[in-house]
Amino acid sequence: MEMTEQIEATVREVGARVRPQIEEAKRRLSTLDDTVTDYIKENPGRCLIGALAVGYLIGKIARKAA
Amino acid sequence: METPNQPNMANGRSEDPVKTMGQRASSVSDSAQQAWDRTRDAVSDLKRAADIDGRVRRNPYGTVAAALGIGYVLGGGIFTPLTGRIVGLGLRLGIRLALLPMMKDQISELADSLGGEIETNKGRRSGGKAAKTSER
Repeated sequence: MEMTEQIEATVREVGARVRPQIEEAKRRLSTLDDTVTDYIKENPGRCLIGALAVGYLIGKIARKAA
Repeated sequence: METPNQPNMANGRSEDPVKTMGQRASSVSDSAQQAWDRTRDAVSDLKRAADIDGRVRRNPYGTVAAALGIGYVLGGGIFTPLTGRIVGLGLRLGIRLALLPMMKDQISELADSLGGEIETNKGRRSGGKAAKTSER
């Protein structure tokens, strides 16, 4: 019984310590997502041509490696 | 007598080299301008027809991923081991995602039926005990 309580307390403590970091990481990821989405929406042609070129290069490399 | 500034009309053509070069440069420039205008029109027509801007606005990541995939296919990566691995991973993930809800339903049904059986057995046992106590 005492062991279970100890484990619960440890888990709670670790959770309380890690939660702010997780929240910060979530906030940063959300900001990054907004930035990337806005950039793609503002420069659709550049992004699509870039993605096409990157895909082409990956295809070429995969073909050479095969 | 021929002067240096006069064009040579010996073969019936005006052959002023400066004028001809200028005309040629102008004609090349016009052709290039026309080609550029046509290309721009074609690209804008294609953009309008495929609604690329709208698609990018609605689903930016999906459109970029589609462009990446088209580039990969154009680069000749379709019949490579990498494609095999990607397809295999996708299939495995898809099958797991499709099977998970089915398995969940089956397990919950099994648990319900087991719970029902346990309740019935308990009822039987308690009914038997009550009958025995009433007999006593």
